[in-house]
Amino acid sequence: MSSKYYGSRGSGAPAWYLQRVTGMVLFVVAIGHYILMHYHLDSGHTYDAVLARMQNPLYKALQISFVVLGLYHGLAGTWSIFRDYRMPAWASWTILGMLYLAGVVFGSLGVATILSF
Amino acid sequence: MSSNYPARGWARVLLTYHKFSGSWAWVLHRITGLVLTGYIMLHIFALMSLQKGKAAFDSEMQLFRTPVFLFLEWLLFAFLLFHALNGIRIVLVDLAEGARYHKQLYYAVVIIGLILFLGMGYIMFSQDTVHAVAAVK
Repeated sequence: MSSKYYGSRGSGAPAWYLQRVTGMVLFVVAIGHYILMHYHLDSGHTYDAVLARMQNPLYKALQISFVVLGLYHGLAGTWSIFRDYRMPAWASWTILGMLYLAGVVFGSLGVATILSF
Repeated sequence: MSSNYPARGWARVLLTYHKFSGSWAWVLHRITGLVLTGYIMLHIFALMSLQKGKAAFDSEMQLFRTPVFLFLEWLLFAFLLFHALNGIRIVLVDLAEGARYHKQLYYAVVIIGLILFLGMGYIMFSQDTVHAVAAVK
């Protein structure tokens, strides 16, 4: 289906593999993020706590990775759901374009917020 | 296979198809994934107030410190846990010998997820306990 409707000649294997690799990374990062933000009410809900963590360049790099990997994994997963359904080519391209746009826009906003510290 | 069904038929298939644990895992993984993808974009948008400084961010966070939002964040953790743990199950099925014991893995996902969900609830809603631990340290 993919090669006929989307002009892709690839097997899709790299994207399939990347979805699993990013998922494994996100498993650790996302659950760790949740614990870090909630082990104390102030830890995730005050500017001072965020500012203190952002002084560490490694933490900032981790946050940027989280934004990029999270958006990639989520939007690629969303696309894989859409691809299971038969759609006219124009609808497929529109959805794919919107997913790319969402990735660029929200990725830029997230990275800009992190780099503002 | 699903592309053989007309657009209006997929909901009927989804609702009437007899589901075993693998089917439920497949459906729930997609639902939780879509919710989490929507949330990450909302989360990034909401945290843009960090760019405006301490007053703006702390003011916005007053809303998210309320019990209603804390409860919603706890529920979101259930979505994250199922997606993350079932994701491990998928990796084991795809890349290891998980297909031989995928049903047991599904039950493990549910049980481990419930334990971690309740544990996070304890952490989030027992701040007095957390304060006490911090004071000892």
